[in-house]
Amino acid sequence: MTERTHPGTVPDRPARRRAGRGRRWALAGLALGTLALPPLLPERHLATFVLLLLAATVTVGVSLLMGYAGQVSLGQASFYAIGAYTAGLLAVHGVPPLVGLALAPLIAAAAAVLLGAPLLRLRGHHLAFATLAVQLILLSLLAQADWAGGAIGLQGIPRLSLFGVELREDLGYAYAAWFVLAVAVLIARNVIESRAGRGLRAAAASETAAAASGVAVGRYRLAVFALSAAFAGLAGGVYAFYLGYLAPGSFPVLLSIEYVVMAVVGGLGTIAGPLVGATVIILLVQVLNTLGTQPGMPDYAPSVLSYAVYALVLVICVLFLPRGLVPALRSRVGRVVRP
Amino acid sequence: MSDLIGYLLTGLGIGAGFALVGSGLVAIYRVTRVVNFAQGAFAVLAAMLTSSLLGAGLPHGVAEVGGVVLGALAGLIVGVIAIGRPGTSPGTSLIVTLGLGVLAYAVEVLIWGDQPRSFPGVSGVAEVGGARLPAHYLLILAVTAPVFLVMAWFFARTDLGRALSACASNRYAAQVVGIDVRRMGLLAFAIGGALGGLAGVLTTPVQQVTFDSDVTLIVNGFAAAVLGGLTRPMVALAGGLLLGVAQTLAAGYGGGAYQMEVALVLMLTVMIIQAARTGPVPETA
Repeated sequence: MTERTHPGTVPDRPARRRAGRGRRWALAGLALGTLALPPLLPERHLATFVLLLLAATVTVGVSLLMGYAGQVSLGQASFYAIGAYTAGLLAVHGVPPLVGLALAPLIAAAAAVLLGAPLLRLRGHHLAFATLAVQLILLSLLAQADWAGGAIGLQGIPRLSLFGVELREDLGYAYAAWFVLAVAVLIARNVIESRAGRGLRAAAASETAAAASGVAVGRYRLAVFALSAAFAGLAGGVYAFYLGYLAPGSFPVLLSIEYVVMAVVGGLGTIAGPLVGATVIILLVQVLNTLGTQPGMPDYAPSVLSYAVYALVLVICVLFLPRGLVPALRSRVGRVVRP
Repeated sequence: MSDLIGYLLTGLGIGAGFALVGSGLVAIYRVTRVVNFAQGAFAVLAAMLTSSLLGAGLPHGVAEVGGVVLGALAGLIVGVIAIGRPGTSPGTSLIVTLGLGVLAYAVEVLIWGDQPRSFPGVSGVAEVGGARLPAHYLLILAVTAPVFLVMAWFFARTDLGRALSACASNRYAAQVVGIDVRRMGLLAFAIGGALGGLAGVLTTPVQQVTFDSDVTLIVNGFAAAVLGGLTRPMVALAGGLLLGVAQTLAAGYGGGAYQMEVALVLMLTVMIIQAARTGPVPETA
């Protein structure tokens, strides 16, 4: 990664480089720590770990889309579903799982390009409702598609096998999900620091100014839309093999909203944001879920608690920490370190 | 022929629900520039409360009014949270209303459970031009038409309505002549809540309501409202009726499937054509 100077905006290059290096070490430490974690986790927490990593992968894409391209997608779960169904259907028909997993992000990205070409003319709330509509259409079509299992769902998806070794245990999927997240983070990081990333940031601030300066705004936006869809599709592929069963009901509109919550809570336009956001939300929901399923609690308690958590965390965060947890923490730490 | 009349009237009845949700969105958006994502939740809350009140033995009429009042109250609360803090941008408010819509799920499941609910409306079957349809659809139309007339009168002829319209057309100028823009925004939220609540109360006897029916309602309401650029209540009415009729025709002649797709594809087409005609508009939310 080459560090380019931004004339006029970043005079303090050594400090920036130091911060970048520190951040790189933090990322490497986080990577090693999470690699060592799965064998230490008990079985029931391992499932949460896998779903957390997959949610974080999708959220990296959502954060890129919202933070860098200034687009709200309320239909990101549709690309997750497209990836999952791609991998699942191919595997059910005897295609090697690894091929299905490789095709999942490609098909999701292709769908994003086809949908994005007309839809990305829309902005703001129009785009939000358009993506929501796309997801409702997809869910309705899936429920009527007998070749995809219809409303009952697609059953009997074989397990993922890598080079002849079948992944039977959750542990294997924890590492598969880790790998998928790592790929998403690395790609997102490179995109942000590239020339295209700067163009996108400019376009998010002012489309007219960016276009006037020669940024191919439309093409970049479509590319980010496709990239975020590819992340979701890849995560969806792993999900299909992990659960072995897919139904339209596994991809509700609420799932798309959850990704937005995670991205907003963590902080848009940062690499650590989606990771922190997904972790905070999933752990919080998990803790409340454990509380809600205690004996003596009514059977609706888990769902009520999780809805309340998504809602309250989102509202409080947007109103009081509008930039999200990561930037807020970073500026607070910065204030303490540099008196 | 009698099939067609039946589909048309049923479609108009369903469409009136979308139109009410949509005009609630319009009432709020005109004044505050906020697209209220919790609009569908008002309908669900009102319908749920009405079913409880009827279950508790209250007469028809009183229970329905109770539901609409709850809708207005919910609208006011959403408004206070979404635009109460000075300096909240419309985009931020949109995300806040999205969160409040999810919070409504928690409240609804907590109080009413997650099973579909309904309550009896006007019973019996009406015969119009040889077509037989549940009489309740006629009641929906009979209530919706005067509501829109009253709204038109309110926005054009009363001081309060004119103040709201003034905020809608020029916020700054409205402030200059002494209109409290923030209070007008809250009033708009309450009106929007009442309209949403009315939609829920009217349509629940013919369409069951669950806590997550709000997604279909808000998407169809938005589709109705977007025809008029989210600022014209009467266009929202026309849009809602059109959507309802298109859906029932698709369901009637298409064998039940794909009726939602018709509405959604229509909405997407309208938005894309609008965007193509005006060019990339400056981001407002």
